[in-house]
Amino acid sequence: MSSIEALYIFDEHNTPLLEQTYTGRPPSGSTILPLYLAHPAPRPSLIYLPNTNPPTLLYSIIQDQLLLLCPSSNDTEPLQILEFLHRVTDALEDFLGGPLLASKIEGHYDVVAQLLGEMVDGGVVNCTEPNALKDVVDAPNFMKSLLGGVGLPSTTPSSLTSSNTPFSLGNRPSPRLGPSGGAPAATASPVPWRRANVRHTSNEMYVDIVETLHVTLSPSGRPLAALANGMIAFTAKISGVPDLLLQLGCPGGIANAVSLPTFHPCVRLNRWKDRPGELSFVPPDGRFTLAGYEVDLLGPAALDSFSTNTPANAAPKLNIPATVSVQTSLGPTGSDFEVRLQLNPRFKGKASSPLPSSTSSFSGRGGLGKGLGSGAFGGSSSTGTTAAPAMDGMVIHIPVPAGVKSVVELKASRGAGDAVFQPADSRVRWAINSREIAALMANDRGTGAGVLATLRASVVGHDDHDGHEGPDTSLGLSANTYDYDDDQASYQVSSAAPEHGKKVDGNAAAAKKNKVLMPSCATVSFTVKGWLPSGIKVESLNVDQKKSKGLGARVQPYKGVKYLCVSRKGVETRC
Amino acid sequence: MLPSGQLKKLLDSRSERDVLEGLRRVVTMSYRQPPSQTLPFFTHVIKNIASPSLQIKKLVYIYLLQHAEHEPDTALLSINTIQRSLTDQNPQLRALALRVMSGIRVPVISQIVSLGIKRGVGDMSPFVRKAAALSIPKCYQLDPNTEPQLLDYLSTLLGDKQFFVAGAAVAAFLEMCPNRLDLIHPHYRSLVRKLADMDEWGQLATLRLMVKYARKSFPRRTRKIRKPEQKDAGTKQKGTKGFYDEESDSEESEEPEYEEVAVLDPELELLLNACKLLLQSRNSAVVVAVARTYLYLGTPTYMSLAIGPLISLLRTSGDIQHVALYNIVQVCLLYPQSFVNHYTHFLVRSTDPPHIWRLKLELLTLIFPHAAPRLQSLVLAELSHFSHSGSLDPGLVKEAVRAIGRCSQTTDPKTSARCLRLLLTHIGSADAHLVAESLEVIRHLIQRDPDNHRTTVVRLAKHLDAATSPQARASIIWLVGEFAGSDPENNIAADVLRILVKGFADEAEPAKLQIVLLAAKVYVHHLNANPPPEHPKPAEPPQPSPSLLDDFHDEGGFRDEPEPVPQPSPPLPQEKPHPVVALWDYILLLSRYDTSYDIRDRARVYKALLATPTSTQLANLLLLAPKPVPQTPSPSETRKGYVLGSASLVIGDEGGVGGLRGYEDVPPWVKEGQEPDPSLRDEAGSASTPSYDAGGARALSAAERLDAAAGAGRSGSPAGLNGVGGPVERAAGFGGAGPKKEEKSLDQWLEESGEETESEEEETDEEEESSEYETDSEEEGEGDRLVR
Repeated sequence: MSSIEALYIFDEHNTPLLEQTYTGRPPSGSTILPLYLAHPAPRPSLIYLPNTNPPTLLYSIIQDQLLLLCPSSNDTEPLQILEFLHRVTDALEDFLGGPLLASKIEGHYDVVAQLLGEMVDGGVVNCTEPNALKDVVDAPNFMKSLLGGVGLPSTTPSSLTSSNTPFSLGNRPSPRLGPSGGAPAATASPVPWRRANVRHTSNEMYVDIVETLHVTLSPSGRPLAALANGMIAFTAKISGVPDLLLQLGCPGGIANAVSLPTFHPCVRLNRWKDRPGELSFVPPDGRFTLAGYEVDLLGPAALDSFSTNTPANAAPKLNIPATVSVQTSLGPTGSDFEVRLQLNPRFKGKASSPLPSSTSSFSGRGGLGKGLGSGAFGGSSSTGTTAAPAMDGMVIHIPVPAGVKSVVELKASRGAGDAVFQPADSRVRWAINSREIAALMANDRGTGAGVLATLRASVVGHDDHDGHEGPDTSLGLSANTYDYDDDQASYQVSSAAPEHGKKVDGNAAAAKKNKVLMPSCATVSFTVKGWLPSGIKVESLNVDQKKSKGLGARVQPYKGVKYLCVSRKGVETRC
Repeated sequence: MLPSGQLKKLLDSRSERDVLEGLRRVVTMSYRQPPSQTLPFFTHVIKNIASPSLQIKKLVYIYLLQHAEHEPDTALLSINTIQRSLTDQNPQLRALALRVMSGIRVPVISQIVSLGIKRGVGDMSPFVRKAAALSIPKCYQLDPNTEPQLLDYLSTLLGDKQFFVAGAAVAAFLEMCPNRLDLIHPHYRSLVRKLADMDEWGQLATLRLMVKYARKSFPRRTRKIRKPEQKDAGTKQKGTKGFYDEESDSEESEEPEYEEVAVLDPELELLLNACKLLLQSRNSAVVVAVARTYLYLGTPTYMSLAIGPLISLLRTSGDIQHVALYNIVQVCLLYPQSFVNHYTHFLVRSTDPPHIWRLKLELLTLIFPHAAPRLQSLVLAELSHFSHSGSLDPGLVKEAVRAIGRCSQTTDPKTSARCLRLLLTHIGSADAHLVAESLEVIRHLIQRDPDNHRTTVVRLAKHLDAATSPQARASIIWLVGEFAGSDPENNIAADVLRILVKGFADEAEPAKLQIVLLAAKVYVHHLNANPPPEHPKPAEPPQPSPSLLDDFHDEGGFRDEPEPVPQPSPPLPQEKPHPVVALWDYILLLSRYDTSYDIRDRARVYKALLATPTSTQLANLLLLAPKPVPQTPSPSETRKGYVLGSASLVIGDEGGVGGLRGYEDVPPWVKEGQEPDPSLRDEAGSASTPSYDAGGARALSAAERLDAAAGAGRSGSPAGLNGVGGPVERAAGFGGAGPKKEEKSLDQWLEESGEETESEEEETDEEEESSEYETDSEEEGEGDRLVR
């Protein structure tokens, strides 16, 4: 079952960066890459290449524009290899700093080589725990000097540590001369996921809860599915072996809200089972994903509302910052469509209003000087975060069929945002920056029913040139797109050709023809800081002094919490 | 890039910094250039292997591993130095040396490697033992003759009490001798106990091994059990939706009172329970491996535990999602009901790439028959959305229409009719893909059950006016010829033909071909109905039923009023040929002068075929042969045989019918009486089976042990307090002043709070006791279930 036969890394131009062979005689990267690229564009993560010798299963992931390939001649568990590839990128990021760039790998082949050598032994995955890797491989020096210079000594263990761990720093003359008199030094950390002898001059811990929205709305605006995928990222920079307790709270009770959780191995599962919402764990050093979960924002009764005879307003209410609705086939020839963006006035995000420090100060991780004690944590932060959540990075994507040559007369009401047609991706992108959102919000302060912005546009298919569109815009856009989709839409032309030319009942015919060119959905992307759709909040985060070891009794670590709601094309409306 | 002379000088330098710099450059070169570029430095690099600097050593090792094969003789020179490192005081260095030595692909040294492994197996440091475990398969590859010794080492390592050593040993076992299950017997229980604590990769290897082991060691026993009433109540309470419970309830009431229930061997149950803790793993492969264990070893009750975690895999990145979906589909084929509640995860999103939505659509159709009516309409609305507005991607349209077809084939007639209505609305669309695909699916539906779809064909014929795409028209005409002609009572084929013939010249070629075929079929039917001997007289058959004709007029379906051509004109009944015959001749005439070769040729074939009205057997055979009913199973049905979690499952039959190379099917259950003796699994030194039975019910996780240790410390014995506080402080290196403790494993470290000296036996005993205490309540729950 030797699974990992080799690892190839290519940069964004598909030039080979690295080839590491672990076992067997896998086909080389230069033979595999063309076969991989020959596969049509959205390439699945597992491709079978029967024409190589031996026939090869090719696993691939793309991380930060780097392409990682892993060939395997045997049937193994695909997820095992894919997970491994993700761990490789995690480890590289951990050591070289993210985002992962080709230049970083090129500059530190010696570190990368050591890492890859540690992670796999003879084709069997050996060790992928970042903390354990840190024990045996040195991070590149520039990190130390850089971070040391900036004044963040806490990100790397202080040099005290090195005297006890012969492998942690390479500046000592000989391993034989280590302090270990008779017995070997305590390189073996007692907790597998935590490195030994962690020391930090300032103790800090941060909780970042990020929820990603996945909402699907029917044409009538009724939510079909609304999921929020949560991820709790934890950053621990605490000396010794701390034992932490993180308590999560939620208006409806955490057990009802959170479903299908996954945990880092450090979390005590029984504690969660007995008392949901309590995460008790000994963290690894550094940043890691503590838990993942999922929240169904519609609740279990959602299905009951799906029936034609319940009125639309009886549908479950969704409290999300922004939704869109699209109306198609407008105008005399049915070539227009209108996108209405509805913003929830709650997310005004008064930029001027002072956000509570517990939320805002953590965007820059350097803000250690503010020294928020554990006392200021807790209740105050939770009320603060919900006070003025700020919406940012609003982008609406409206994909249009490939048969659309261009989209013209893009008009956003009240000049809200920029809308452009992007022929390469065949979509309309409508971006509204936060200032414009603030302006919109300010306009509608009185009504309270929500803020509206609309975008109207009309599509131009391939066969009706300059029929009813303004010449200036259509010319400019069509010049870009002409050669691009000409061939793709040929089927449209053939089917629509008989109707062309007779303008007798032209409008009806055109409407029918244009119906095919209408967009079928629109997606909204945004981020909201300081608010979570699930309403989950951190109620407390404490160090269990009795169970912790190596942390001074009076040390009160600095704590921080950040909430973030993200939608990456996550709110989708059909039409 | 330095010239090679300078580089060699760096490597030969006496300054460590220069050497290090030189090595960095060589390692960089070795990644960027073919080995021929870096090989010249071989001796210069190897010279540094004895360097006291660890950094240098590591880089030399890396170089050595990459190049040893090209220069085996020079590489041998370094073996001595490496061997010396095996006895170094630093465990990391020992582990590294062992790994490098076994990694040098030079067969002559196999005995030395074997000796090195032997030393490593007995090493105090678990890291070295782990390296030894992973070296075993490498040594075996070097020289298979070393197998007996290696098996010996492996057997020792399998019983290692360090969980990550045991995990690596299992991986090595699978690599080297996956069929020597006899080695596993004595370690089965300890491996299962350690399962929760191993790292993810060890868990994966162990689960893989255990599926095989359990199938070959625990015969499947079933017992007839009287169905207790509570069971139904129990399942309802568990939150599974009422709609399918009702179904199963009604089924159950009709069934006899007894049902077959798999009786799990208590030792197997041990494994299954240990897996429960892994379901929350962050590693998707582990979750799937647990699902596989439950699927092939457990009962449906266990399987239901794994459904949610499987769904949670859909939260992950796209590449993992893709593979996870294949596994979900595989489970869904067997247990569709369990997935109904998770339907929201299967809704296709506009951002999904094709390989994702294909599987999602399949899942939607799989759960469709088991869904509540409301959900069914939701799914249908979803599918029809993608079928008509999904012109973004023709493939999606196609797949969505096919999905509607699959939905219609499994359900009650009402839903089926609804699906058909949905499809029929597509026929007039301007989207050619949609129309073609819809008709394809409609054709399948009709072919599957022609008797109930007579009216559908009539309706389709009405749509002939609306359908503009030649392919669509051709499909409809074919359907009319195939199904509307056979029944003389209800024959619209001739009528359709009559109307089509008028527009023959304007039709596109595919439609013309079908018209010719339709004409031939109608003619054959006519000949069959009125055999030529008494031929011209009975004008009964092709007369369409008046009601149907009325229909057409009402709907205005065919724009042209029927013209007198086909109406049998009364004046000269003897000379005038029968209308069908006239039509046939007319078509032949038209096609004879058509521009298309194909049409002319076909017309000629049919003409020859039907030249003699008295012998129609051959024509019957050719034209009226019953067509095989097309089967459209769920696309993944073809993969059903593959093991969950395997790559063959993802690739499918493309990789060869028996799966990919190295694919292993789950072995069949061992026959009752042929299983290995259970006493083989007794652990040496373990007290007795009963105590183990309870103790193993759940393995303690490392975190729990930490708890236990801390609890003991708190409870007050001063020695315990010292035990907890002491090593950490020393280890944390406050001034490095504390006396060095000997290196500890997690177990030891934690156990120290209790007593200072301990033997392995005591440790296991204590562990079992504590877990026995902790699992009392759980056991009761299990008891309940067993009774059921």
